Amino acid sequence: MAPIWLLGCILFPFAAGMLLCLLHLRSYRLLTGLMLPVILLTSLFCWAAILFCPADGAEVIRFAPNLVLLLRLDGLGRFFVGIVATLWPLTALYAVSYMRREQHPGMFFGFFTASYGATLGVAAAGNLFTMYCFYELLTLTTVPLVLQPMTRAARKATRMYFLYSIGGAAFAFAAMVFLISSGADGAFGAGGLLGAHPYGENITYLFWLFGFLGFGVKAALFPLHAWLPKAAVAPTPVTALLHAVAVVKAGAFAVIRLTYGCFGADLLRGSRAQTVALMLAAVTIVYGSAAALKETNFKRRLAYSTVANLSYILFGALLLTPAGIAAALLHMAAHACIKITSFFAAGAVRHETGRESVYELDGLGKRMPVTFVCFTVSAFALTGLPPFNGFVSKWYLLTAAAEAGGVAWVGAGALLLSALLTAIYMLTACRRAWFPDKNANLSALSGVHEAEWQMLLPMLVLTVGMLACGVFAEPILAAVRAIAAGL
Amino acid sequence: MNQVLLLSIVLLPLLGGVLLALMRRAEKRAADTAFLSVLALEAAAVTAYLCLPDATVRLFSMTDALTVSLASDGISRVFLAVGAYGFLLSGVYATRYMARGERQASFYGWMLFSLGALCGMDLSQNLITMYLFFEAATLLSMPLVLHDRTEESIRAALKYLFYSIAGAFLALLAIFVLGRFTTTLDFAAGGTLTADAAAHRTLLEIVVFLGVIGFGAKAGLYPLHGWLPTAHPVAPAPASAALSGIIAKAGVLAILRLVFYIVGADFLRGTWVQIAWMSLALLTVFMGSMMAYREDLFKKRLAYSSVSQISYVLVGLFTLTPSGVTGGILHVIFHACIKICLFLVAGSVIVNLEKTRVSDLVGVGKQMPITLFSFTIASLGLIGIPPASGFVSKWYLALGALDTGIPVLNWLVPIVLLVSALLTAGYLLPITIRGFFPGKDFSAPPKTDEGTAVMWLPIAILGAASLLLGVCSGPLVDWIFTLVAPLV
Amino acid sequence: MIAFFVNFPLFSIVLCLLCAVLCALLKGKAARIVSLSLCGVVAVLAFCVLVYGLQTGAATEYPMGHYPHPWGNELRFGIAEPLVALVFAVVMLLCLIGGKQQLDVDLEPGKRNLYYVMCDLVLVSLLALAYTNDVFTGYVFIEICTIASCGLLMIRQIGRTTLAATRYMIFSLIGSGLFLLGVILLYGVTGQLLMPSLKAAIAALWEGGQYRTALLSAMTLMTVGLAIKSGLFPFHLWMPDTYAYSTPASAGILSGLVSKGYSFLLIKLVFGVFGTDVFYGSGVSNVLYVFGALGIIVGSISAAREKDVFRMIAFSSAAQIGYLYFGIGLTPALGMLAAIFHLLTHAVTKPLLFLAAGQLGEAAGGRLRHTWRGAAHRNRTAGLMFSLGAFSMIGIPLTMGFVSKYRFALAAFERPTLLVVTLIVLAVSTVLNAMYFMRVIIGIYTPVPERRTRMTLREQRPFAVSSLLLALLNLSAGVAAQPLVLLLERGLSLL
Repeated sequence: MAPIWLLGCILFPFAAGMLLCLLHLRSYRLLTGLMLPVILLTSLFCWAAILFCPADGAEVIRFAPNLVLLLRLDGLGRFFVGIVATLWPLTALYAVSYMRREQHPGMFFGFFTASYGATLGVAAAGNLFTMYCFYELLTLTTVPLVLQPMTRAARKATRMYFLYSIGGAAFAFAAMVFLISSGADGAFGAGGLLGAHPYGENITYLFWLFGFLGFGVKAALFPLHAWLPKAAVAPTPVTALLHAVAVVKAGAFAVIRLTYGCFGADLLRGSRAQTVALMLAAVTIVYGSAAALKETNFKRRLAYSTVANLSYILFGALLLTPAGIAAALLHMAAHACIKITSFFAAGAVRHETGRESVYELDGLGKRMPVTFVCFTVSAFALTGLPPFNGFVSKWYLLTAAAEAGGVAWVGAGALLLSALLTAIYMLTACRRAWFPDKNANLSALSGVHEAEWQMLLPMLVLTVGMLACGVFAEPILAAVRAIAAGL
Repeated sequence: MNQVLLLSIVLLPLLGGVLLALMRRAEKRAADTAFLSVLALEAAAVTAYLCLPDATVRLFSMTDALTVSLASDGISRVFLAVGAYGFLLSGVYATRYMARGERQASFYGWMLFSLGALCGMDLSQNLITMYLFFEAATLLSMPLVLHDRTEESIRAALKYLFYSIAGAFLALLAIFVLGRFTTTLDFAAGGTLTADAAAHRTLLEIVVFLGVIGFGAKAGLYPLHGWLPTAHPVAPAPASAALSGIIAKAGVLAILRLVFYIVGADFLRGTWVQIAWMSLALLTVFMGSMMAYREDLFKKRLAYSSVSQISYVLVGLFTLTPSGVTGGILHVIFHACIKICLFLVAGSVIVNLEKTRVSDLVGVGKQMPITLFSFTIASLGLIGIPPASGFVSKWYLALGALDTGIPVLNWLVPIVLLVSALLTAGYLLPITIRGFFPGKDFSAPPKTDEGTAVMWLPIAILGAASLLLGVCSGPLVDWIFTLVAPLV
Repeated sequence: MIAFFVNFPLFSIVLCLLCAVLCALLKGKAARIVSLSLCGVVAVLAFCVLVYGLQTGAATEYPMGHYPHPWGNELRFGIAEPLVALVFAVVMLLCLIGGKQQLDVDLEPGKRNLYYVMCDLVLVSLLALAYTNDVFTGYVFIEICTIASCGLLMIRQIGRTTLAATRYMIFSLIGSGLFLLGVILLYGVTGQLLMPSLKAAIAALWEGGQYRTALLSAMTLMTVGLAIKSGLFPFHLWMPDTYAYSTPASAGILSGLVSKGYSFLLIKLVFGVFGTDVFYGSGVSNVLYVFGALGIIVGSISAAREKDVFRMIAFSSAAQIGYLYFGIGLTPALGMLAAIFHLLTHAVTKPLLFLAAGQLGEAAGGRLRHTWRGAAHRNRTAGLMFSLGAFSMIGIPLTMGFVSKYRFALAAFERPTLLVVTLIVLAVSTVLNAMYFMRVIIGIYTPVPERRTRMTLREQRPFAVSSLLLALLNLSAGVAAQPLVLLLERGLSLL
């Protein structure tokens, strides 16, 4: 029963999305009326799976003795499915209002639904090959979403996105084949599958780095991050959900799987490869924040911030300690909640006023109070102010770094520096919205009003979530600790 | 009952702030009434609290390690009293000062929010709670600075914000490392370090040093002092007074809590950390006074003076001796009193005479005798001329420094204090002298109403208090010595 | 019954020759029917031979005309040979069906039957190359194949094709000339032409250390000759024009089948004549590896720089040929397996791409990339098929391309010294492939405001059917790759 259930969770939205794409529905109402139930139903299925699915794996197809499509929902997978299944319906609701005036809604909602399936596939993959397949599928289903505006910039961004993703996957593929040819081709296991160095130490490290960098492309690791800010041309629901949560976190998730489930943390702990990776993450953290500070386009600024925050997750995971991975997962959930809210706010501004630059936010706080209250809360949470969830995750990241010691101190420093930069780039935007310059032209705002309820509701829900997950973080912490102990 | 009081001390101003935020379109009189009644209630609550026994309130716990809870102790009483009364007087003054400006209600609201955050900080039971309210105090007092919405004020506000947040993150570094090496992050006199902390002495010394530098940003401690002379003067005068006299003390409180209640004085006594702190504080004392002496803008001069004076407090704390710490805490009280008074005077001068530069202030005493008389009394206190209050605190500061037994510093501190006192006299007294004795060729303009009693009365009260607290300081000193005794 | 299948290779060759003659006499339409049915029949026959091979589980040597060894001319077939022949026949059938629309336009009405004559001749030479057990027979059919291929190319009478054909002819003749020299040299040294005898003689000579230079030269000459003919870097320059300007059906046949025939002959020679020990011991394999790798990279880069989509696909063929030799050069077991699997992959995928590109080019009204904008909205089927072919080229899971990429990567681990290089070449090639194919895909799916008429399925039924079958072939071999791999593994052991 379990495999069919899981497969259903993955295939249902995928098939429904493809169908929506092919149907070419002319009525927007009908389109969204079909899409919303599909998404809701899938989320329900997913939650049912999280709660009731047994943790043992189920083979779906065996392509070759060591190429098996295996679905399994272990703790880590459950966690990711949980994040995705919570956020997707909210984004779908937001998109209903947001996409009303955009072109090609059929294609958008089709692939939006289909990519849900692909993301779930990544989460529920039981071995590296399965994850790789769904990872590629995720790329393919999200490419049309970036392309959606069909402008020159969008085409360029799409090309870049696809190229980076496929390139990354190509290197991850090398790591996968390495594992398969070393006999480590089973289901993700606690403590890894490799056990020893089959071709010598350096080769192991090299291939781990291949995999890390390959999957790291999706997680926007520093030299390979360029696609993410570019992809901010996509409609806001996509930027918010896919490029702040699903796709990018799938990258981080894949790195965690590769590291903990395949190579094994013990094998890598203290190696040069770990140092290199940690350093890269630290550099990305600082770079992303600094670039966000420099960027004046609202959405791109948030995208750069995502670059930095993803490396928080990677950094935590790469500490290779239970505390580190627990903190990484905590931040994964926290950042998902935070960043999607801030993107929603940016999208609401764009949708209502057409403004895209941070410099044009002057005085909008009074016009769109709900939007900007949510944005401000997300800014606080992202900066890491208590009692929001961002503080809790940052706290545990820092504590884990301090415990690990050594190179991790550099990362801890990077985290703090990045927190300061985050404060600057987020709070200056808030400042403009709430406290406009004396000589700002506020008369231009006379016609501006709050976005529709479909856009406000998800933001509000997530804002409450940010506070609640901060104030009552203990259950989440206990959950991630349990997951970390199982890796 | 106690717990309810504790909670209400924190929540009252915050809810009052929300109330005023909702009254944006209300009449000025209604806003004034609401604002003052909240402040009065708060002062009453604090007064009641001063007499009641200690209590603890656990608000919520994010995780088992991260709890947000309130508790009261002696130190919190000192800071709470300073905060509540200082805000009350500034608030009364503000109702008149802000009469001509725009957005009074929002100004009042932010004042109340700041007060709420400060009270929360005063009552924090552990580092996490304090960090929370520390950040909140920064964020909630920032709008006071940019109240005018001019380019200058916005820039100053952002500078304030980023210095404070940078400081807070440095402090966070200390907090999370200490989280690893302490049995609990709850405050306990004498510190809570674990047994194995001594093995990581260097690490702890470095992070605690950085943490104090971080919290010191709020108190204008070198090297993160740059924002203070920029931000304090651009706010409206009541807000400058609150910022300089009270909110900047949040940094002092944070350092006090970190050093004496988490790390413990014994751990740090005689280390390079103590010496470095003392040197930095001394440097700030001297530099602040020098800059104040050279500054012509009245409010900016006072802001530089704050830089210098708050570092007096820090010098006292860093001596890690009973007399020094007592002197520091006394100076917190006295300086709050004096500096609020001085800033309010500066505000009166701006409102009534529309003069901002010290060099223009000729014959003020003829026009606003009460105001300038109070100013003079307060100045004497700041300089430290007996029997005014400043003398008492500086006396204990010097004693404390001599007790440290650190070579060079033990005699350098009194000397620097002395030099700084001379400089203080140099930058404050000319105003009095030229105010009362403008010279022969000065044609006396008509006397003003000094902005009615609403403005001069708070000034006079504070001036009188600065004198009286000095004259009758005996019980206060004794009480503070009892508070400090378990710490050092 | 099954024992009778042993004659089918010969039958199919003879049948092809007969049909070629017949087509020359028939009118266009009838010739087409004859050729199409020939392809079908040959496919069935090849399938029967495959069954026979599986049944016997050994390679069968089939002497023709009862002349005994070593004078006679022999055929030899195990499992790999009929499998390759089967794929060749099926793909040729689908090419001819799918390219019908363009064929109707490109062929002069009077010369239609000649095109099918050429097709039959190409098919016969491919079959002969697959089945022959005699190097000289191999040479003969190489030449026939060259001439017939020129015919396929030339039949579209535009200036560029004449030029392309000339160039193709020159390169091909150099190739076959070198091959012939090699054959002569071998004959001079060993006095043998039949593959088994040659192999024994060469092994003995190599063992004794005699005629090292001659053997090495012969091996090099034959390898290089075949490499030139199949278009290995740096001899790939004839490819772009040849494939890009011929009619899509020809392009599919030429790129998907003809060049593969030569490669397959080389694989046969490695196992059946040189012997893996000699071939891999002599260093010729390393040369192939290096040029294969260079071919992959250079071909892909050239494709990425190309604005003409047909030429782009042609350059991509150069890269794919690079893959083949890359695999051959890598290792005798897994490398060879990857190479031969890739041979099939490419044979299935490239015609699909050329056919779809033909349809899209028609819908777009141009050859250059920028004119193709929105073409997939005008011809959905072609757009979908092109994308699918491109995904297979990139190596997205569930396509055949992924499996061959995977086999190459696995093979890399058989030779740890070249491990990192091999995998990096693979990864870089994937990225480059993604780069140029994605540009086209994004272009064709970008809507343009003016709405031209949309091509429905009914209007392009032949193309739809054949491309669908090719796509299905690709996907099913991608999903159920394991049986195919096992089959090829057994086939290689019998070569």
